[in-house]
Amino acid sequence: MMQKLSENVLDKFSMDFLRNQVLKNAYGNDDTVIAVRDPRILLVWYLFFGLVPWFVNDLPFLLGCFLLVMVTTILAKVAGLVLLLFAVGVFSQTGYLLIATWIFGGDASAIAPLLVLTLKVATISLASVTVFSGLDPDRLSNGLMWFGCPERLSFSISYAYRMLPMLMEEFQNVLLSYRLRGNPPAHETVPGKIKYLIYQIKIIIHAFYPLMLNTAKRSRTTVEALEIKGYRYAAVNKEVRKMKLSSLKVTYDDLIFLAISFLWVAVTVLVSTLV
Amino acid sequence: MGEIENNMETKHNMDAIAENNENTIDSMDTIIKIEDLTYTYPGAAQPTLNHVHLEIEKGDFLAIVGNNGCGKSTLCKVLNGLIPHFISGTFSGNVWVEGENTKNADVGTLARKVGYVYQDFENQIVRPTVLDDASYACLNYGMKDYEQRGREALHQCGLEGREDEYIWQLSGGQTHLLALAGAVALGPEVLILDEPIAQLDPGHADRIYEVLRELNETYGKTIIVIEHHTEYIADYCKHVLLLRNGQAAWMLPAREALARVEELQESNIFPPQVTIAGFRLQKNGRLTQTQMLPTTVEEGREAMAALSYAGGKSPKGENVPQTAAPEPSEKTVAQFKDVTVSYRSVKGEPHTVFDRLNLSIHKGEKIALIGSNGAGKSTLMKMMVGLLKPSQGIVELNGTSVKNVKPEQLSRQISLVYQNPEEMFIKDSIYSDIAYAMQVRNVENWQEKTEELLKRFRLSELSERDGRLLSGGQMRRASLAIGVALNPGILLLDEPTANLDIATRKEIMRTLSDMKEVTDTVMIATHDMQLVCEWAERIIVLCQGQVAADGTRDEIFGNAALISRVGIRPPEIFTMGQALDRRALCYTVDEFLDAFSCEGRQEE
Repeated sequence: MMQKLSENVLDKFSMDFLRNQVLKNAYGNDDTVIAVRDPRILLVWYLFFGLVPWFVNDLPFLLGCFLLVMVTTILAKVAGLVLLLFAVGVFSQTGYLLIATWIFGGDASAIAPLLVLTLKVATISLASVTVFSGLDPDRLSNGLMWFGCPERLSFSISYAYRMLPMLMEEFQNVLLSYRLRGNPPAHETVPGKIKYLIYQIKIIIHAFYPLMLNTAKRSRTTVEALEIKGYRYAAVNKEVRKMKLSSLKVTYDDLIFLAISFLWVAVTVLVSTLV
Repeated sequence: MGEIENNMETKHNMDAIAENNENTIDSMDTIIKIEDLTYTYPGAAQPTLNHVHLEIEKGDFLAIVGNNGCGKSTLCKVLNGLIPHFISGTFSGNVWVEGENTKNADVGTLARKVGYVYQDFENQIVRPTVLDDASYACLNYGMKDYEQRGREALHQCGLEGREDEYIWQLSGGQTHLLALAGAVALGPEVLILDEPIAQLDPGHADRIYEVLRELNETYGKTIIVIEHHTEYIADYCKHVLLLRNGQAAWMLPAREALARVEELQESNIFPPQVTIAGFRLQKNGRLTQTQMLPTTVEEGREAMAALSYAGGKSPKGENVPQTAAPEPSEKTVAQFKDVTVSYRSVKGEPHTVFDRLNLSIHKGEKIALIGSNGAGKSTLMKMMVGLLKPSQGIVELNGTSVKNVKPEQLSRQISLVYQNPEEMFIKDSIYSDIAYAMQVRNVENWQEKTEELLKRFRLSELSERDGRLLSGGQMRRASLAIGVALNPGILLLDEPTANLDIATRKEIMRTLSDMKEVTDTVMIATHDMQLVCEWAERIIVLCQGQVAADGTRDEIFGNAALISRVGIRPPEIFTMGQALDRRALCYTVDEFLDAFSCEGRQEE
């Protein structure tokens, strides 16, 4: 039973799965309510929910914000892996303290500040998840470019997303070569298991060398192709930048999205003054 | 670089010449003119291109052929200005494209005149969605109607309706068409493609060439391809240019060029099988010397109409009882039982590759696994080595389920050589790569065994080189050596002849024949039907997640209905034989000549 479970978990975390999750996260949900928002609106929205919670300690307000970003995260249909990372992240930051305090009989005076801190971290993280994972990389980079980020940054974001799956596939294949031809230590006993773990880590480090060389070989073509496609020319041309940004349009729905967020925040502020 | 600077001094002079030539070019309808071009890569001792003179007419469909390393790709990079503007080196001579001297134009200007599709075209695609990538260059050059241009290019390349798809949803052939569309979008008059069909099955390859023909005939583009597949040259190209030792040996109309059998073979280019057959018939006096050699099956039907089938084999083609059909007594070494497997997809339902697949593989068999791109050949092999787990069913190896054996323990029983040899190289020299598996297992005398393998695969001189820096054929041989290092009972090869020129391919085929005695059971996944016919004893055809057919070559290729259903194509000489006589089942030129040999038996 236990073996089956561990096999299952290992299965889930194969390179293939990671690759799939990255792609899913970047491009798999381009038709959600969040993904079709104008990236500039979302960035402004993020500026609020990513910053304000740090400076406010009011519980109803934070709770309200948390609920809102939770709803947007659900709307964005964020990939499972990202949510898992989020949960692990929040828990390792403050969540464990909160639970420990609660278990060991800490009273409200001890729990409340921890709850506030946990809420802050969770709200900000979820807001980031909504924006950076709900939007596809191209829209995000266009939004960033509008706010004056250099073209190179925005290109890097979308290009990294384009390359990442390829890199992971290549890495997977190199690792498989090691697995097929290598001879790992037996790992039935506990010391054996530790040896096995060290072996695995060593293999992963070794695998980077062929990965880098193979990538370098591939990127020679890419660099030449970029040159032909006028990438360098565009990077310094204002006109091209304008054309790239002209696809951004604020719609009524974007305004409604902002209005709802604003109203909701107003309500929570109102509630907190009433309490 | 020094050379270029020198030339800069005489730039005015050059301009004057260019001006002059521009006028003549227009009148002659010459689109590309090369005069005394010599180019040496930085650090290289010998020039790659050596005093090349060349003129290419507007509207031509030109194939460039030549040995590996004779400068084909270099010549193409000269045409689009990457040399000398992006890649330095010593450059002398002049190149005019549409009257513009490439020395004076920048890469951007030339990109609008000459489109280029790389051999590793997937690395040429930089944007995530189809339309985005097709219009990316136009956007970068600030063309206001970039999206319209992208759409138009996709339409011309037959990718209409896929504008919003992500690039990883495309098949290999479609990805190639997208790379082409990206080049077409800029509206160049010349399109250059470096080995466009190297990795494609015949169906996809035809599609690429149909698109190219359309671009050539309807849109008037000048097309230049670097191509090893002479059958495609015969079918589609108008002219052939032979490069030899960095020089343009000659440029002739395609049919005339392909008929120069001996000269081509000297440069390691193999004319279509029909042409070779015709050439040999001519030599032994069965075809008249004056007759133009046929290059396509159609031409062959005319030229060889006088030949009659003499029956190289008994009428039903069963004179040699082929031992391929598995006898029940044979030992089963691998077995698939009701195997279902699917891939996760980015969006929506997982994609099912196999649905309840059943298959047995017996000891000592030499199997070819064929089927179109995406039929599941690689998936099947990955399941056998335990890299991929079926969602249902069992894969058994020598009687035990693969699931219960760790891949590292499997490696003595079975070995897989990847399609992409680079991924087999995990060390910094091929010596240590071949030795690795034996070394970590403390195999006795592993040093000697490694030396032996190096010798066997003719790699001894290269043993200290990094595998990635070898040529295509050497890389292949090294990956085969790595694959057989542990002397596995079953050897799986994924596309061992893909991306190789014909000479290297022959060499690999020879190596594979040599290996027949070394390894017991071998399975090759391939599109290369000549390899299939000359090497395999059992052929398994995969189609839509099922075994569509399983048998000897006569059973597979003799079944015309099957062939058209699963999208495979027999070797050209087989089709030629069939065209002359339905009873003829000949797979090699020798068999063809045998089958149509004795004129005495003409009236049977």
